[in-house]
Amino acid sequence: MKPRIITRKQLSELLDRLAQEVCLYAPVRDRTGTSWAKISRADEVCLEAVNTVEPAKGFVFPRCEVLLRFDPQGNPVEPEPPPEQVVFGIRPCDARGIAFLVKFYTQEGRTDPYVKARRQKTTLIGVACSRTAPTCFCLGVGGSPQGSEGLDLLLVDLGDELLAEPVTDKGEKLVADLPAAGEKHLTAAAEQKKKVEAEISLRIDTGRLRELLPGLYESGVWQALALTCVNCGACTFLCPTCHCFDVTDETIRGRTVRCRVWDSCQFTLYSRHASGHNPRLDPASRYRNRIMDKFYYTVEQAGMVSCVGCGRCIISCPAGIDIRQTVRKVQDAK
Amino acid sequence: MDRSEKLRQRARELLEKKEVVMVIGFGPPSDSGISPVLFATTPEEAENLTASTSCAQNLANYLLKVRDRGRVAVVARGCDARSITVLLQENQLKRENLHILGIGCEGVIENGRKSTACAVCRHPNPTIYDELIGEPVPAPEPDPEILKADQEFEQLSPDERWERLSAELDRCIRCYACRQVCPNCYCPVCFVDASMPQLLGRTHNLSDNMVYHIIRALHMAGRCVECGACHRACPVGIDLMRFNRRVAKTVRERFGCDAGTDLNQAPALTGFKPDDPQEFIQ
Repeated sequence: MKPRIITRKQLSELLDRLAQEVCLYAPVRDRTGTSWAKISRADEVCLEAVNTVEPAKGFVFPRCEVLLRFDPQGNPVEPEPPPEQVVFGIRPCDARGIAFLVKFYTQEGRTDPYVKARRQKTTLIGVACSRTAPTCFCLGVGGSPQGSEGLDLLLVDLGDELLAEPVTDKGEKLVADLPAAGEKHLTAAAEQKKKVEAEISLRIDTGRLRELLPGLYESGVWQALALTCVNCGACTFLCPTCHCFDVTDETIRGRTVRCRVWDSCQFTLYSRHASGHNPRLDPASRYRNRIMDKFYYTVEQAGMVSCVGCGRCIISCPAGIDIRQTVRKVQDAK
Repeated sequence: MDRSEKLRQRARELLEKKEVVMVIGFGPPSDSGISPVLFATTPEEAENLTASTSCAQNLANYLLKVRDRGRVAVVARGCDARSITVLLQENQLKRENLHILGIGCEGVIENGRKSTACAVCRHPNPTIYDELIGEPVPAPEPDPEILKADQEFEQLSPDERWERLSAELDRCIRCYACRQVCPNCYCPVCFVDASMPQLLGRTHNLSDNMVYHIIRALHMAGRCVECGACHRACPVGIDLMRFNRRVAKTVRERFGCDAGTDLNQAPALTGFKPDDPQEFIQ
């Protein structure tokens, strides 16, 4: 698929048109930064922040997914299928997060129909990063500020014009009528990539972690590291790849629904058995689980480290914990 | 010698003389701009202790985590000290197991400006300590904008206040960071985590968010020291201090109690005085 060129005006027109046809979501400015919202016009979009406060994972894995509704007689009713939606302005790290979720949830023999259906109905338009925050480390975990993994279309902002690289047929369809990008556009994008990548210096040796972590299960390092952690769920809820859920039946306004809601391994209730026994009652064992899951369990299960380096867990941690420092301390542990 | 240096010196001495097993303070800020808590158990580890405006958490929270380890020293600003007082009043800590290194506080800087709790701080200096590091600091001029907004909020009708509260709490993602960073929110089993029977719905709809925050506010009435740790911890920026200040003000006006300022005065809602206002049963 050929890279193409789209002007700002054409992009605005495209977004205005999409907003008329389907549900269009994009980052908009709010009190704490930028958040995802349904928009009706291109000029509502805000791409100034490096990233949104919350990740984009909710578009394929919503915070509350209604699995079943019950009619007044108590008979189950299948919920409406998800709507066609376009997500614009997604950053490469968030897109990789979605790629992970889809990979994790659509594996041979254990495919989750809800995630699969939502991804099929979703078009993801990414915008490459032209600057970084000190908490960004996508490059250190296999991503890139111009990465296209998980996307349908990637845009690289070159000033008056944007380079549009289709990744899937869905993306190709959106830009098929546009002129092909010239050599100067490709060179400008490559230069921008080099410049932004140079800003990201901190890396995590994830290969080494995969080897080290199984042997460190009983290490005292977790107790020391977990002392600072307050075991809230902020890092897990704001993580683009954290994917744990609970299923609950609730009556909302007189109607009973069965929902799947996000859960967090940092909560005590998460690991409590029906018997009352809790194998992860100790805060350190919950902290360990999060790190093991990011860099070992998911690598074993889905072949991918489930950290995309977006830095949200660093920004949101009330205790000032930096996952890069955690990894360094784990690597130094004996 | 500046305050941080004095602090490090005293921490080293306490650890060298084995007067304490640990000194709890703050380390240098991470890339998020927040200083992580530092647990120094050796004089060398105490070298990184910092007293600065990036220290966002209430350290009393961590005393509960290490209360079985022996005598510990803790750096305490106005609000840390007030929370420690509440924990002492509620028999969660033993005074003899604490060495309080009091320190005057210049407030926490969050996203380039003074944290909303600190901008109207009334107690920057510790109300209880074993030794004071450096000089006490004067209480800041309260930010007139915040006071004005508080006043406007108070003058709203109950329906309007409810609407305002709903708009804020509708955004809550129930990560419970506000609960987890709060030193005075320490129930062994929170009502939120009760599952047999389940007391609170797990979906993130407004009514469940409301139940969580209102019950928490009621549990904190008369015990909240207005440190603002919950407000700073909220990843989606809910204005929790607007509501906390309102609850604390009501308690002050009705019960004459300013949480954690007087070790001998029990928190307002845990004691009974014949002259307590009792208009609700009249």
